[in-house]
Amino acid sequence: MNWKTVLRLVSVDVKSGRLIRGQRLRRYRERRLFQYLLYGGACVLGIVIGLGAGTLYTAVPDPDLRTLFYEGARLLFLSFPIMVLIYSLIFTMMSQIQRMGVRSSIQLPYWLPITWEEHTLASTLAHLIGVPLASIILFGSAIATVSIYLEAVPLAILTIFALVASAFLASTTTEIFRVLQARLIGAVYKSSGRAAVWVRFLGSLLFLIAFYVAWFALTSGGGSIALIEMVASAQQAGWFVPYVWLGMALASFMNGLLAQTIIFSLASLLFILVLFYVAVKLNAKFGLYEPPAITVSRGAYVPKVGFLGRLGFSSLEAAVIRKDFKAFTRRRELMYVFIMPLVFILMPLMQYSGIYGTPVTPGSSRFLSAWILLAPGAIMAVMLGTIIIGEEGGSVWLFFSSPITARSLVKCKYAFVIIFSCIVTLVCGAIGILIARPSPDIAVVLLIESMLLIFALGAVSLGTGIKGADFTEVPRPRMVRPLTVLVYGLLCLVLALAIFSPLLLHAVAMEYIPLPVSLPKLDLYVAISISAVIALVVTFVFYKIALKNAEEFLIKAEI
Amino acid sequence: MILGLIKPDSGSVNVVCTKAEDDPVAVKRQVGYVPESPRLYDFLTGLEYLDFVGDIYGLDASEKKARIEEYLEAMELEGREGDMISSYSQGMKQKITLISAFLHKPKLLLLDEPLSSLDPRSARIVKDLLRKLTAQGITTIMSTHVLEIAQAMCDRIAIMYEGRLLALGNMKELRQKARLPGSDLEDIFLKLTGTEDVREVVEALLK
Repeated sequence: MNWKTVLRLVSVDVKSGRLIRGQRLRRYRERRLFQYLLYGGACVLGIVIGLGAGTLYTAVPDPDLRTLFYEGARLLFLSFPIMVLIYSLIFTMMSQIQRMGVRSSIQLPYWLPITWEEHTLASTLAHLIGVPLASIILFGSAIATVSIYLEAVPLAILTIFALVASAFLASTTTEIFRVLQARLIGAVYKSSGRAAVWVRFLGSLLFLIAFYVAWFALTSGGGSIALIEMVASAQQAGWFVPYVWLGMALASFMNGLLAQTIIFSLASLLFILVLFYVAVKLNAKFGLYEPPAITVSRGAYVPKVGFLGRLGFSSLEAAVIRKDFKAFTRRRELMYVFIMPLVFILMPLMQYSGIYGTPVTPGSSRFLSAWILLAPGAIMAVMLGTIIIGEEGGSVWLFFSSPITARSLVKCKYAFVIIFSCIVTLVCGAIGILIARPSPDIAVVLLIESMLLIFALGAVSLGTGIKGADFTEVPRPRMVRPLTVLVYGLLCLVLALAIFSPLLLHAVAMEYIPLPVSLPKLDLYVAISISAVIALVVTFVFYKIALKNAEEFLIKAEI
Repeated sequence: MILGLIKPDSGSVNVVCTKAEDDPVAVKRQVGYVPESPRLYDFLTGLEYLDFVGDIYGLDASEKKARIEEYLEAMELEGREGDMISSYSQGMKQKITLISAFLHKPKLLLLDEPLSSLDPRSARIVKDLLRKLTAQGITTIMSTHVLEIAQAMCDRIAIMYEGRLLALGNMKELRQKARLPGSDLEDIFLKLTGTEDVREVVEALLK
């Protein structure tokens, strides 16, 4: 294996981030300071955390408390390998999902003098670049610093070794998964025939939901603490699973069992080696992936005289709306849009279902119904509006060269955002009503508010999406500039609060929301009317802004 | 500039009696455009893409259906029109792009390397089609680096180098300008651009 080749291949992958960061590509100069800022920051933060924890430990006068602290730290060290494994798996897999849209077949090993071992190792290491590596540095530096205070330097060294090995283990697993899923999905599509589009849609949806649920279960509330406690006890029971051998090595070391420590450490390394060679063999066999031909339609071609035409859309506008609908059901990198509303239902449900011991109260039930009825549609409108222009990617040349006016562009894109978000609100609303069982009048009021939010925030985010559109597609579709999203995201939040505030005042006055203030009673119909007026004004103003942005956009070819 | 996307520093472009800058949408309706490396909607089928383009140009349903079917047959895409474009070869994508440029019967064709990636039969069809369209009064502006194609197909040739127009005219006029009677376009190009030191370059490479 030529290590220089591996490093060169990894550096190529690192450089692909230049396109994501949207840097100036002509006369490009690498700013090394920014390149390593994430890792430097993680290291500094880790040392600060370690120093803080260490100082706290030495400052505790009570010996019992110190012992408790020490045992807690040991428990934490013990759970680190599995924690890093899980987090790295999630991050590396999510990164792969984001790149799905880009044709990711790696053909270089076929015509350049690169072996499959070098290619696989480079790919495995490249998965770790970014957040996974920063996490290792953060944890590693914190462990190293605090271990000096705890006088547990040998344990810290072994823990850091386990961290690095766990991350590599996760990355190798992702590499195997990547090759297998490309092959498996290709085979499924081929055999699915015309149903392939729906198989792909539902398959991707289920996969992403499973990941997001796992992610929220780990990161929200007491999830992480529960996991730490669970890992420490479950590790011993599952000693035969190779993925916990690194943790077992640590546990053995803590108990002074040197022979077991060496056996589990060596077994872990052997397991990583076996996994790596499985990844190499799979890459050699299935590495050159060609997307299968998915046949969507067969038989005679009959142009559609659409329902959209009857709604007052021109053939051009209807064509763009139909095209966008197909984009959101067929492009895997856009499917996360469908995940968000589902996650927004699942998240509070998990929170209030007693998983974390949170008691269900009438207040939380009211919050749940308001959240499920209002949030998915409004968030969908913001998300869709922001990316609806940027999602065109490199194909946007067609818009620049077609006889499409700014008015038509804004009309059809806005209509798509509204139609899609309203459908989401109705579906999520139905589920929310079934789960939270709000009274009919509350349900109707919340649905009306949701529609008002969709119309207003849809217009705001569409204007943003046009202004901040980013057509970068490699290594992953960027769609909108991050700074624009941040600024206009805050604006959307403020406007949403402004639209919702009359209803909020009504709820406080009627004591639906217990606050230690007394407000004059505001009639519900008056509150809704004020809310509607604010929403209408916001919609009108920002629709005009979107039109102006679209005019500028169409006369300025960006690619 | 011809499509009204970039404002000229000075002067103006008139396309079929319409000033591009004043009414770019009207101009775009008259133009069929093939970019050098077109990005199509990979998630649509070939047929869905052409249907979409037909709607964008406002073709009525029966006309759109007839034209799409004719072109698909001519370009030998029948049987694959229902497959997603993501599985198409480069040549098939180029055919779809060319069909989408011809579909609405434009009065002006702007083609950037139109014959790249095409199989010999399709390339011949496109060349013959372009000649017939030119005979019918449709203007075609084509940009290419394959000088044999330019010499074989174009009535007037503009030689551009480093953003400057070096020569414009038919082959006879270009030969006169380069003072190379009987020579082909490649020699004329190399002479006019001052890049005829090819032999020295090759010899240096072989060392």
